[in-house]
Amino acid sequence: MTILPLIISIFTFFGLYLILSISFNLEFGYAGQPNFGKVLLYAIGATCAGRLVATIIMLYLGADVPFFSALAADMRLRWGAENPLATVGLFVLALVLAMVVGGLVGYVLSYPTLRLKGDFLAIVMICAGEVFRIFLKTYEPLVGGPFGLSGVPGPFSFVGDPNLKEALYMSLVLLIAFGCYLFAQKLVNSPYGRLLKSVRDDELAANVLGKKVVRVKAEILVIGSAMAALAGALYAFYVRGVFAEDFVPMVTFTAVTMTMLGGLANNRGVLVGCLLLTLFDRFTRASFFNMLGITVAFDISYIRYAVMGLLIILIVMFKPKGLMPEEPVRTPAIEIAKEELSK
Amino acid sequence: MLEEFMSLLLLSLLLGSLYSMMGLGITMTFKIVRFANFAHAELVTIGAYVSVMMINMLGGGVVGAAVCSFLASALLALAMDELVYKPMAKRGASALYLLTASIGVGLFVRYVLSIFADIYGMLCVQSKRMPTRIAELAGADVTDLHVWVIATLIGIVTLLHLMLTRTKLGKAMRATACNFELAQASGIDTDLVRRVTWIIAGGLAGLAGMFWSIYAPINPEVGWRYLLWAFAASILGGMTSFYGTIAAGIIGGLAEVFGITLANRLFGVSLSYRWMISFIIVIVVLLVNPRGLAAIRLEALREWLKAPRLPRLPKLKLSARRG
Repeated sequence: MTILPLIISIFTFFGLYLILSISFNLEFGYAGQPNFGKVLLYAIGATCAGRLVATIIMLYLGADVPFFSALAADMRLRWGAENPLATVGLFVLALVLAMVVGGLVGYVLSYPTLRLKGDFLAIVMICAGEVFRIFLKTYEPLVGGPFGLSGVPGPFSFVGDPNLKEALYMSLVLLIAFGCYLFAQKLVNSPYGRLLKSVRDDELAANVLGKKVVRVKAEILVIGSAMAALAGALYAFYVRGVFAEDFVPMVTFTAVTMTMLGGLANNRGVLVGCLLLTLFDRFTRASFFNMLGITVAFDISYIRYAVMGLLIILIVMFKPKGLMPEEPVRTPAIEIAKEELSK
Repeated sequence: MLEEFMSLLLLSLLLGSLYSMMGLGITMTFKIVRFANFAHAELVTIGAYVSVMMINMLGGGVVGAAVCSFLASALLALAMDELVYKPMAKRGASALYLLTASIGVGLFVRYVLSIFADIYGMLCVQSKRMPTRIAELAGADVTDLHVWVIATLIGIVTLLHLMLTRTKLGKAMRATACNFELAQASGIDTDLVRRVTWIIAGGLAGLAGMFWSIYAPINPEVGWRYLLWAFAASILGGMTSFYGTIAAGIIGGLAEVFGITLANRLFGVSLSYRWMISFIIVIVVLLVNPRGLAAIRLEALREWLKAPRLPRLPKLKLSARRG
């Protein structure tokens, strides 16, 4: 294994987890809704995108082969390589569908936030994610149950060189992630950002001031969920398939750790946390250790998870505000306030 | 038909008792330490591994294994609290932060255990002590495991009941659960109460793990996989009531075994969906009535039964005119 694919995989995962962490930060850091079911939306996005693209290609081909067979997967990938324009179109369509479905599910998820708070909300969200994973794993007609759905061509299937293909896809993911970051920054550095924080800090007070708390919660969950579903769809195109076992609660916990490491309610902090943790994640994989010629008597990934657990404990115990603490909302109002104070 | 029914009933009682045993610890820590402890799963796993090591390597008996599992899990629980939860609580961390920390603690313990299990080739082990058949009930096998588990659960309930109602420490625990500040102000050693709570909660988890290792092969994920069943028991029981937790654990066991078998026979639902039942219990209870079984007031029923039956009076119309 050479260094180039490793770097590409680092930055692709950085982009995917950046989208997830930013959406978690919007929901939890700014609006105070602990949506520990991020993986639910991630899985829904991947399922929608993968299933849509595979179904359309199979309908177009009209071949009489089993949908989830390796032969069908191969046919889909070859079709993707031969029809670049159609594949890119399908890619865009899949992303849009994933975001729409994710947003709708997010709207449904805002119902628990009206009835529950804090830890109980977190438990319900974790359970919701697990229910969907078990459903995906058991219900075969959707994404092939335990075998998964493979053969989902990405937008750059027509590029022959595998490294170049992956590098192009990495740039696309990074571009979309950066777009999400800018969107989140614009959103929270506005009066709306202050509104979100008011709901987080004191729902009753926000209500008394005439803010529609219920509506704000629904809006932020719709936005966050659509973003998470977008990340899921991008993931499905990255691994060219949908596999139920990828959507374990660990995905959520990783995004939570990244957000809390960087700093709650600070998108720049999340950027840093995300980069640090992705580097750590990729450099503790078996492939990297093999590259250095180190072998151990056990599965390397256990170390990664154990250290992740330790990191969660340390952050929560000693740096609950993260590496970069929360900053005031940057709107014209704060400049005026500063001027007033300096007089 | 009867034979199958009996064997399903026995299985669901076994599973239900184990879920109750795990759920009791969650309920206790929730009542007194006031957060949902996700690392409870690892206490079960450690108990299971200790008992397998005792039985397979040292050739110990079941009682010895039970004592060792109880002690190991209780010690681990105590260590978790002293090292992580107590310092955090002293600094005024919220329940959500404690829950997040417990997820971290759980991950850490589970994967450190996995590393050692992998090195010693114990990623999937079976206890040498298997359940043995001791009787037959309407064609279904009754094993000694069934007897032990149910007897242990009854013993635990009796002991806990006596402790909470008859001893000074039990009363102190109830007082702390009811109002922490007031208990502290009245001179109750809340730190001691906290430690005892963790020892009992951890020990019960260890016992459940010990029985689990005899019931089925174990791996480092065993506790985590059944954690949400334990949470389902605790949440359906209302998160505060011991008797509710035990009833809810048994209900969970029955729902799992009978529910999925019936759904499979009648509608052809895959048996793998049985995992979803616990999650659905948690979601539905928390969204519909978070007080769970504790919302059912037995006193109200009793009063209603005892109340003298009077002929119903004609309804008065009060709302018609005003002023």
